[in-house]
Amino acid sequence: MRAVLSGITVRFGDLVAVNNVSLTIEPGEIHAVVGENGAGKTTLMNALFGLVQPEAGKILLDGNERHWASPQEAIAAGLGMVHQHFMLQDSMTVLENIVLTAEPVGRLGFVDFARARRLLTARAKAHGITLPLDRRVDSLSVGEKQVVEILKLLYRDSRLLILDEPTSVLTPREKERLFGVLKSFRDEGRAVVLITHKLDEVMESADRVSVMRGGHLVSSGPLSATSREEIARQIVGGGLPAPRQRTARVAGDTVLSVERLEVAGRGRTVGPLSFSVRAGEIVGIAGVSGNGQAELIAALTGLRRPLSGSISLLGRPIEALDVEARRRAGMSYIPEDRQRVGLALAASISENANAGRDDRTAFTRGAFLDRKAMARFARMLIERYRIRAAGPSVPAATLSGGNKQKLVVGRELERGTPLIIAENPTWGVDIGAIDFIHGELLRLRGEGHALLLVSSELDEILALSDRILVMFDGRFAGEVSGAEADPERIGSMMTSGAAELLPEVA
Amino acid sequence: MRKHIYRTLLAGDLLSWLGVAGAILAVILVLMLMVGAPVGEALQGFWSGAFGGRRYAYLMTTLSRAAIIIGMAVSVLLSFRAGLFNIGGEGQLVAGGLVAALTAILLPGPPLLVLAVSVLAAMLAGALWALLAGVLQLYVGVPLLVGSLLLNYPARYIASYLVAHPFRDVPSGMLQSHLVPQETWLPYFPGTRLDIGILFIAAASIFAVIYSHATLHGYHARLNGLSPDFARAVGLPVKKLALQTLAMSGAIAGLVGAIAVFGIHHRYIDGMLVQPLYAWTGIIAVLLVGMIPWAVPLSGFFFAAVETGAAGMERAAAVPKEIALVIQAVIILFVASRVSGALSVSAERKGADDA
Amino acid sequence: MLDLLFDASFMASVPRFVTPILLAALGGALCERAGVFNIALEGFILTGAFAAVLGSYFSGSPWLGAIAAMAAGIAIGLVFAEFHLRRGGDAIVVSIAINILAAGLTTYLLRAIFDVMGAFSDPAIVGFQPVRIPLIADIPVLGRVLSGQSPLVYVALLAVPAVHIFLARHRLGLRMRAAGENAAALEAGGVSPRRVRLWALVGCGTFCGLAGAQLSIANVNLFVENMSAGRGWIAIVAVLLTRGRPLPLFLIAAIFGTVDSFSFRVQGLGLAQQFTDMMPYLATLMVLVALSWWRKRQTA
Repeated sequence: MRAVLSGITVRFGDLVAVNNVSLTIEPGEIHAVVGENGAGKTTLMNALFGLVQPEAGKILLDGNERHWASPQEAIAAGLGMVHQHFMLQDSMTVLENIVLTAEPVGRLGFVDFARARRLLTARAKAHGITLPLDRRVDSLSVGEKQVVEILKLLYRDSRLLILDEPTSVLTPREKERLFGVLKSFRDEGRAVVLITHKLDEVMESADRVSVMRGGHLVSSGPLSATSREEIARQIVGGGLPAPRQRTARVAGDTVLSVERLEVAGRGRTVGPLSFSVRAGEIVGIAGVSGNGQAELIAALTGLRRPLSGSISLLGRPIEALDVEARRRAGMSYIPEDRQRVGLALAASISENANAGRDDRTAFTRGAFLDRKAMARFARMLIERYRIRAAGPSVPAATLSGGNKQKLVVGRELERGTPLIIAENPTWGVDIGAIDFIHGELLRLRGEGHALLLVSSELDEILALSDRILVMFDGRFAGEVSGAEADPERIGSMMTSGAAELLPEVA
Repeated sequence: MRKHIYRTLLAGDLLSWLGVAGAILAVILVLMLMVGAPVGEALQGFWSGAFGGRRYAYLMTTLSRAAIIIGMAVSVLLSFRAGLFNIGGEGQLVAGGLVAALTAILLPGPPLLVLAVSVLAAMLAGALWALLAGVLQLYVGVPLLVGSLLLNYPARYIASYLVAHPFRDVPSGMLQSHLVPQETWLPYFPGTRLDIGILFIAAASIFAVIYSHATLHGYHARLNGLSPDFARAVGLPVKKLALQTLAMSGAIAGLVGAIAVFGIHHRYIDGMLVQPLYAWTGIIAVLLVGMIPWAVPLSGFFFAAVETGAAGMERAAAVPKEIALVIQAVIILFVASRVSGALSVSAERKGADDA
Repeated sequence: MLDLLFDASFMASVPRFVTPILLAALGGALCERAGVFNIALEGFILTGAFAAVLGSYFSGSPWLGAIAAMAAGIAIGLVFAEFHLRRGGDAIVVSIAINILAAGLTTYLLRAIFDVMGAFSDPAIVGFQPVRIPLIADIPVLGRVLSGQSPLVYVALLAVPAVHIFLARHRLGLRMRAAGENAAALEAGGVSPRRVRLWALVGCGTFCGLAGAQLSIANVNLFVENMSAGRGWIAIVAVLLTRGRPLPLFLIAAIFGTVDSFSFRVQGLGLAQQFTDMMPYLATLMVLVALSWWRKRQTA
């Protein structure tokens, strides 16, 4: 199926998310759409898929102009999309998930599961994919869930497949096999669109590449006609920020020490985990998300009670303390989910900035608030952390993603605690904010703070960490020092069952 | 995505508000025509029932009722703003009213002291009843919404039993307690039949406004209400906040119960705090104004006027006074569905940020 | 004393008390599974009870009464849908308003149509006759429990497996579960969660209407103001406890209904009525506490 997008414009309120974009998706090709977060890649594909209505422009499939009232129509026309966030029902089986919204019905609207099973088994076999259809999805690993998403498209016999950042949850070996499957789809004459911000993937698998920036299409053409450097330049629109240099530094005394920590996780126990973080070093915890990092963090910060083991901060046992006491003992926490955990979006910037401050007397008079002092503090954060905001009294919800994150980072780092725990601190923010946040983390390392960085972005871990712990299936699969770390070595530690579901790449 | 999330009453476009008003009026009109009521007389009856009467006697009734409703509204306001769905105000109100009456009947001493002790005891009873629901949620895992609601029934029946058996005023022939000593009755404003209980409620309302906007506790409680995960992550003592807020909420409900006893009924009568749906009216008064503290007294007064106005309509045009409940419900349906966005935790706008 | 309570007539009364709670809870289960936080079951039941009396009074047939109850339940479900699904009102707010609306409207109409306050009974209200099931009726004790109940009791019993199978294997049932668990995924698949939830509310209205009919034209032949008397809340507790799964729901509803009939039975045995009235709520609270505590221990 050939899809032609012509002059597509999508607007959200005042924001023009996609601005007059035209491009062609050819059958039998893998077409990479690249750009940084917020460049409009996903929105453009959502328009093709009928999830958002373009304000202007045309969509042509095999020469016929189409208008979607809903994704259902796009699906019926042979389009399929794997979204960045899994679109799965955890409590349902794999089979139920796959047939959902495309159920083969028998009498009285009851679902004919036997028919679906036959069809699916045949199609999956043709591409060498195996998957237990009767397992509940919540018992699957993230990689396996990705396979379920692919099977959904296969079951619907989609002729044009859109995959939005499909590799962010995969181990290197799973990633390799996924691309193998995508190539076999391509060779059957299907069109595959790969939305990504990772250049390696583009270079490795794409036939054609389109670059987007700030809602505009910067370029679109065969991969062979461009180069890695050129694509990189087009993505950021100019020179890349120079890669950060970690200055060598001898780590100081132990700040955080964890001994045989065990935490209850989803259906399994995470741990036992033992490690330490010393003053003036960044310890990175690498790994595909969902391998126990969230549980580890929750146990360290006091949000979840550990099953056993000990945690000590500056030599003082803290495993029995609550969140507040741990923070006072010298811990700051930059949570992954700024929308729910990092901020109270409906509250003002000032109210967010002053929450959890240790120096209460600085912004209170007895039981009463000193609103002026609170606003002063917020303004200071806005300035020091370069937060673009209309003022301290506007709701935090009005900030962009990167500025929300800077507010969270600013609030936590400003406390100047000996230990800082950062959980995917740059997830989904623009390159400028990433660079700024990385700079701040390195500055604190230089000032002798201990930092624990959990990230599913391997590049981030490699760029910042003095030591790297690789987490897999609730345990540490290995430790490497930052200097001698490379992606292959770390990737090999993330072995996973999901790779077995996809065929080996010859 | 919801369009009306940040849209407030004032910012909403005038035309659609007129549409809403039209729809509400249409419902009322249909109901009135159903009983063949003369519309003109009914409306006149409504007006005089709510605001008129000889020497404004009906207005005083409205104010007296408004005091109770506003009090209950302030009580739930504190809980709701902290994200605590305490819909057990009725139980807390009953606990307060019952304890107030029994304390005043049983306790000897100078009237002013008896009154003060009774009011404090009522507040304590209301607070404890609310805390019970809080403890069930925090330490047992019973959701506050159902726990607080289910506790309404034991409160109601225990009170009913006590005034039907051990403390019944038998000669009266009714299910009610004896009168509290006359010296403890709240005085009327000079020249009216309005007791000074409304001053207590005014104080509670002012407290609620100051507490919500200007105190550390109110600030922290609100953060907990907006996002419990956030409050936990920045180390706010969420359990303590919840229990303290519930206790405050319950204490105010208990105070309202005491005012109903000393200001209006002068005894505990079975069902006197339950039948008029005070607690529920208080809840919808808060929802009507999207939990804005300063506006709560206005909406409480408005709903009280709807009720006394409906009573006036019944006297003047034989429209059953239960029309008041229908009017209140329809208003909430139309209005709150537009302003309640700020209430729910779902106010978080997903997707707008990282799309 | 115990044998006084647990005699055959007590046993025979249990299904009468279980049925309204069970039917309402099944309706609530559809909403719960589809992701509609409907805590207006009280208002739904009350509306159904009133409509059943109205239908039976004017038609002379309990069946038309039951149909009227279902229609009224569906209508109130549509009101819920209009304000919650279409206008985006918070489910809790809409629920509270609907409970008040039902209380007000039934009382208002009682006075407007029949010109009575409090309660309305009339020979023209024809109730359901007990259904005698041959063979089963002759079994000692059990025969009186299983046979001789109102037709709605059997409807409720059949509805339990029906709802279970519906949710497990029917297209709409599958979609309801999806709407309740991950609505975004359903939407991405091209099915509107709102439409699915609308059907859940329609189903809920149907079941709650029947629950009301069981109260007003099967258990008795009259309408009393606020005659749902907290059963809607008890049904909600049953739904929350079982997360809307029909088979465990049946068990919980059976326990609550049995306590209900027990408290009815011990009235007049010297215990103050307030204490017997309190029993169902205390029992509900205790079950809630016990199960919550047990669950907490399981997960800890």
